[in-house]
Order: sequence, then structure tokens, then C-alpha cells
Amino acid sequence: MGITALIVFVASIGMLLVRNVKHTVWLLAVQGVALGVMVFLSGPITLDQIAIGLATILIKGGVIPFTMNRVTLRWPLSYRSDRPLPWWGYLAGIALVLSVTHIIHLLSPVGIIHHRDLFFYGLASIYLGLLQIISRRHVLSQVGSLIAVENALVILAASVAGQLPMFMEFGMLIDLLVAVVILSWISRLVHRQFNTTDVTVMRFLRR
Amino acid sequence: MVVLAGLGPIGVMVLALIGYRWMPKRMPITIAVWVSLVFVITGIYFYREMMHGIWEMWLLLLVDLIAAGSAWDSIWWIREHHTVKLLRYYVWWALFWLALVIIATAGNLVLAWLAIEFSTLASGALIVEMGHRRALEAAWKYIVVASVGMLMAIIGIVFLYASLQFEHLGWHTLDYTNLHAHFLAISPIVRKMATILIVCGIGTKAGLVPFHTWLPDAHSVAPSPISGLLSGILLGVSLVTIDQFVAAVPLSSHVLLSGQHLLLFFGTLSVVVGTLAILVQTDIKRMLAYSSIEQVGIMAIGFGIGTPYAQEAAILQLVFHAMIKSGLFYISGHLSVRYHSIHLPQMTDMIRRHRKLALAWAIGILALAGLPPLGLAFSEWMILYGLWSSHLWVFLIVLSISLMLGFAALMHHLISGLWGETNRSLEQKEAFGRIAITGGVSHE
Repeated sequence: MGITALIVFVASIGMLLVRNVKHTVWLLAVQGVALGVMVFLSGPITLDQIAIGLATILIKGGVIPFTMNRVTLRWPLSYRSDRPLPWWGYLAGIALVLSVTHIIHLLSPVGIIHHRDLFFYGLASIYLGLLQIISRRHVLSQVGSLIAVENALVILAASVAGQLPMFMEFGMLIDLLVAVVILSWISRLVHRQFNTTDVTVMRFLRR
Repeated sequence: MVVLAGLGPIGVMVLALIGYRWMPKRMPITIAVWVSLVFVITGIYFYREMMHGIWEMWLLLLVDLIAAGSAWDSIWWIREHHTVKLLRYYVWWALFWLALVIIATAGNLVLAWLAIEFSTLASGALIVEMGHRRALEAAWKYIVVASVGMLMAIIGIVFLYASLQFEHLGWHTLDYTNLHAHFLAISPIVRKMATILIVCGIGTKAGLVPFHTWLPDAHSVAPSPISGLLSGILLGVSLVTIDQFVAAVPLSSHVLLSGQHLLLFFGTLSVVVGTLAILVQTDIKRMLAYSSIEQVGIMAIGFGIGTPYAQEAAILQLVFHAMIKSGLFYISGHLSVRYHSIHLPQMTDMIRRHRKLALAWAIGILALAGLPPLGLAFSEWMILYGLWSSHLWVFLIVLSISLMLGFAALMHHLISGLWGETNRSLEQKEAFGRIAITGGVSHE
């Protein structure tokens, strides 16, 4: 489990650093597959686990990256590139990851954390995903960061609760799938109407 | 109950799918009749529960009432906007209504969370259907900001679930009744952390300041029948979800940043920001959106006081606001079409140009401003009294001043809209221009 969580964490770092959104999509696919495998490694295999694991691999490792990839394929190469992370992003990223140790220190006496490593990877990845939302400017980078935060949340949940109830797991998966479909639709429309993929051009409502 | 209440929206989807193929012209009116029927049947079916004071049933009836209003207004709105794709509009509309029904009736925190999250997607898609750049921008901002807020909330929910996992109840662990029965088994630091995350996270959807940034954009750009549902119902039921959580997992009022403290603080901030923003708005729907922020703030203060009397006042405020604000959003949409503008300075002389709409607009704005004996005056007075009897003097003073300022701002917008001079001078300028062109009058 620790290794799959580490893969998700490393992929989150990778998403912050890569500039081509196609690479972001690949990293999301890696995260999705890693999360699916993690479900199978989390304990004795039951029917519920098989269903959740397969659904995770199918939706997070397959359908979502495929949907995002289809959007990028319609764009010329120049529209697939995001700007590099600003200098303050590196500093903020390091500070955020280090601050997770403080939260572990705070919560340890309560006994809520069952797997420290998982908790670290999960919360650190959530922080990095949030940092990605505020520091990246490409529409699909922002969609990717929302998915990355949700993926990291699964790791965090595993660290404190083992496995979430099937209803919650499926509810969140379907919610995420619908969100990605709608955001990909908006991304295409943004590109068509604004002739760019940079979210900062959307300033009409500020006028 | 959720299944029964969900039949209404499912019926709309079926009618939309059938109607789109066989009777596209009659589809909107058929759907409006169906939604009205659902409202009446809901009232009859849950009559006993409502009479026994189960307020969730009243909330469900309110959702159906505003949905019926939205369905009837959609007929008028669709006639004014020919480019709208009917099938997609009604499918998203039905999904949005379904989400609202689930939020209003959910007795479980995670079910409410899922429905709130889904409401973002359905209403966001309806905003995108408008198709223009402003709509895309608003929808993008709405979905991203609200989703981040909801992700924060789910972290808090996961911590609560982890703390009570030993019960082996599955997702029913997060039933409000179960949470309240066993909240002492959750350590205080986890309760505090979950409270902050859930109040701030779901507070994003409720439009509480400072998490409100998406709201004025989304509400002002959405189709008017949707703005009515967003503002009238979604904000209120999201706030009720927060209140149900705060009541189920209480923190001592001596603890800094307890749920009630947060509601009082964010509520007051919302009232102040909302009121000041109303003063300077020039876009009719943005003005109404900021007024919603102010009204949600008043409700949050009511819930934050925490006494049964103040809770009743907050629920009353929610009900009156839902009916008044949804109506005002519907009217604002038609006024914008009549004037070919969304700008308040352009919408003048309403009383002479559009007498019926002007009358409805005037009654709505007077009710929103809290003019006695209209409903909001009553509930706002109750909340002020709740603050007085709980000795929350600072909040009482801030709310009183804000209410007065809000009243003045709304009256200013109303008077200049009904009897304003701008358009008359424009007409004179136009007439002057015509005479000048024909050589009758010199430009001096």
C-alpha cells in the first residue's frame, strides 16, 4: 500500500513540474491505476473491494484520462503547453509538504492515524494539488489538479479509515466522472471562444 | 422518502425525452403542469408530517414550490431565448431539482455532501448552456471554487467517519442521529478540525463570505429560472446542512471556533459585504446575488445564535427569502429582455413602460428590504430579538446598521428604476438628435 501511495505522491509532484498537459493526463492515469491496485492490497479481498478496485481502475485510470486526452488531441501543439511553475510555487510546495509532519505530530496522540506514511503521502498530495490549482494557468492543468486532490483524498481516507463505505466510494467516483466530463466540455468551449487555454483570460465578469 | 420525492425530477426527465421527440412546443407547459402536480401531491402526502412539525417536510415542499415557479417561468424564458437547447436544458434542470430534493431531505451528512456536489455540476452545466463568454467564465469559476470547497468538506467528513468506524454501520455512521448519539466518542481536536473544514467547505456552496467569490458571477449569468433555484433554494439548503452538522456534532460554546462561532462570524461578514455591495451594483442580477449573500448571512447568524427561537427565525428567513428572491430573479430576467440591458441605470421609468412587471418588481423589492408587514420584516425582527436576548451586542449593532443600509440601498434602486429619469433624458437626446439631423435645432 505504501508503494502505491508513494507513486501517487510522486505523480502529484510530477504534475506540478511538467508543462505539457498530455503528460499531466498520463500522470493522472498512473495515479488512477495505483489507487485501484491499492484497493486490492488493502486487506482480504471481498466482492466490495473487487468492485471498487475495478471501478477505480476503469474510471480513474481509463475513462477520465481518455476523456481529457480526447480534448487535447483537438488542440494544436501550442495549446497543450502550460507555463512553468512560478518561483514561489517551489517554496510553497516544500513548505506545505514539510507542514504535514506537524499535523501528524498534532493528531498522533488522538490515535486516528493508522498508517503514518499513507497519511503523509495523502495530505502532502492534497496540498500539492491545491497549490497546482492556484499556480497553473492551463484549463486542463486545473481540471487535473482537482482530480489529483480527489485521488490524494482516497490515500488520506485509507490512512485513517482503512476503506470507505462502498456508497461513499462509488458516489465520489461518479461525481468525479461527471465533473471531468463537464469540465472537459467547458475546456473545449473555452478554447473555441477565447482562442486560448489560459484561464487568466477569463476576465469579462471583472469589467 | 428520498426515493418518493425523487420521482418528480425523474418524471421531468421522461417528459423531456418523450416531449422533445413528439411534442416539443408543448413540452415546457407539460413539464410545468407535472412539477405543479408534484408540489400539490407532496403537500397532501406529507401533510401529517408537516402538521407534526417535521420541518424537513416543509423544506421539501418549499423546494417543490420554487421548482414549480421555475418550471412555469422557464416557459416564458424559453420563448425569450430561442437558441436554448430544450432537451439538455430540461435534463440538467431535472437533475438540479433532484439534487435539491436530496439535500433538503437527507438525514445523512455524506448523502447531503454528494447531492450538494452534484448540484454544482448540474447547475454549472445549465450556466454553460447560455453559451456566451461570460457564462463560460462564470461556470468555470463556479465549478472549480465550489469543488475545492466541497473537497475540504469531505476531508472533515472522512475524519468523522474514521472516528466512529468502530460501529461498523457503513455509511449510516454519518446519519445525523448517529453522529449526535456518539459525538463524544470523537476526540475534541478531530471534532474541531471537522467543524472548521465542513463549515468552510459547505459554506462555499452556501455563499458565506469570504468563500462567496463564485456566487455573484454564477447567479448573474445563469438562466433566470435557474438563478431563482440557485439563490432561493440551494444557498438555504446548504446552510441547513451546515446547521444539521453543527447540531449533531456540537462543540462547547467556550471552544474558540465552534460551529456556532463560525456561523456568527461568517454570517456577520456576509451581511456587511452583501449590504455594501448592493449599494454600488449596476447589474440587476448581481444586485440580487449580493442581496442573497446578505440574506444567507442573516440566516447564518440565526443558526449561529443557537437558541430554538433563533433557529425558527432562521428557517422562517429561509422560507420567505426563497419565495421572494426566486420571484425577483424571474422578473429581473424579463426586465433585462424588455430593456435589452442588464444595467440598472438603463432600466428606468418602469412604471410607465412595463406597468405589470414594475408592480411585481416593486412588491418583491419592498419585501426583500424587510418592509412590514411582509414576511422578512418578521423573521429579521426575530433574529434581532434573538441576538438581544443572547446578549450578543456587537452582532446586534452590526446587523441593525447593515439592515438599515440594505433597506436604503434597495429603496434607491427601486425608486430610480420605477421613476428614474435617465431614459427620459435619453429619449430627449434621441428626439433632439432627430430634430438636429433634420436641421430644425442648432447644436448650441
